[in-house]
Amino acid sequence: MYPLSEKQIDFILNDIRARGVEMEDLQYNLLDHICCIIEQNLGENGDFEAFYNKTIRSFYKKELWEIEEETISLIIFKNYYTMKKIMLYSGISSAALVVAGIILKFLHLPGASAMLVLGVSLSSLIFLPMLFILKIKERQSSRDKLILGLGTLSAMALSLGILFKVMHWPFANILGLSSVLILVVLFLPIYFFTGIRNPDTKVNTIVSSMLLIIGCGLFMALIRAPRGSLLLKIRDTQDYLNTQRILENERKLKVHYTKTDTASALNTLTVKIDRNCESIKAFILQMQIGSGRLPADFEKNERYIEEGSLGYHPFLSDSPAYGDYQTLCQAIREYNILAGTSGIALTKIQTTNTFIDHLENSNFSLVTYLGILNELTQIQMLVLQNQGLQKAE
Amino acid sequence: MIYSSELIKGTLKTIVLKLLADNKKMYGYEITQKVKELTGDRIQITEGALYPSLHALENEGLLTTETEFIGKRVRKYYSLSPSGKVKTREKLNEFTEFMNTMKILLDIRTA
Repeated sequence: MYPLSEKQIDFILNDIRARGVEMEDLQYNLLDHICCIIEQNLGENGDFEAFYNKTIRSFYKKELWEIEEETISLIIFKNYYTMKKIMLYSGISSAALVVAGIILKFLHLPGASAMLVLGVSLSSLIFLPMLFILKIKERQSSRDKLILGLGTLSAMALSLGILFKVMHWPFANILGLSSVLILVVLFLPIYFFTGIRNPDTKVNTIVSSMLLIIGCGLFMALIRAPRGSLLLKIRDTQDYLNTQRILENERKLKVHYTKTDTASALNTLTVKIDRNCESIKAFILQMQIGSGRLPADFEKNERYIEEGSLGYHPFLSDSPAYGDYQTLCQAIREYNILAGTSGIALTKIQTTNTFIDHLENSNFSLVTYLGILNELTQIQMLVLQNQGLQKAE
Repeated sequence: MIYSSELIKGTLKTIVLKLLADNKKMYGYEITQKVKELTGDRIQITEGALYPSLHALENEGLLTTETEFIGKRVRKYYSLSPSGKVKTREKLNEFTEFMNTMKILLDIRTA
């Protein structure tokens, strides 16, 4: 019986690993098997290396990892290779799509969001789950499986969260936050305490854990604090309230200069525009703060107007404000034609770079409810002032 | 005469299950040696076929395992789980039926 030294056993184990066998269970099975063969068949003064090489050669046809591939295909399913291919191709195409999407986004060219949506969906809904399914079978302990599962889940939530944020879709913040929570509260402790127990992985585990914490910290630093959000909301709502007050002051002034002539085309349009602006504003306020008018003590009741981009058209045919919006647009066009008529010196209502143009051109990401409210108020003030100027002449 | 690996492939799981039913617990090398011994070297199970099957059987819940540390080596013993015992009987019955059918099909006359 040949006495195997620890060094030789290490050599065999390292060789098995170097030949591409990754499953720990299989590594040790093969190691024990080879050791048994050597101990049983090699003479006490035999040539270890030559005998080992001959033995290991008899284990496979082309490469040793054939055994592992066979094992995995038996364990998982017959379509292991198809899954592996899908994983690789979905990974490559999602990487390409994301890169292309980002380039298009920075060049402000069309197709950017479509590519980003496709790329991120592909990676988080196909690539990552596939990777998880293929890798989970190779992990031995349930703790390793849990770590893998939590990591995958967190990665899926993070990439979807960022995608949703970019697309101004709902639940983006919840997705992003839950991914960080999963990572820090669940993944990290299990990963850390498993890793530091093993002397081989101790240093690596500590370094990766620190990098992970710093990464999560940097990610969280990008997020506006709740207090900061609140102050911004208060500022914006106050801004609107102040503008609204100026408008109301102007309405009071109007009483002094408007006497008769209520039936003129200009007056009819002015009333129409003013009324429709007001009803659209009431509709928006109803949605945002639950009442058609912004109270002066909004801060006390915590009623704020959100500043987030809409990402959609708020006045489509299924919206209650559809009719008012159509009437307003028509009235503005008529008003501007009238303003061009000789004898009447009126400032036209500008729609360039306002929500009216943005909605027309489907640039929904440039539209906010706050912007609509303020721009409608500006239109109201303008037509009132025009009316006053007409009277003054 | 050594049988072709194609013939053995389809029966490997049955062989392993039966050996474990008779021997309580065995490790990989032991199984290959036992098969050699019982068949007078006529059936030699290759490592490339044995271990994938063992892992698959374990994964199906038919085998339970225990490990023994021998210095730096880890020896994994396999034994039948309750469902493995049931499966062994099924497999043996199936194979007996199969042999009878093959005898008729191939018109083999046993002496």
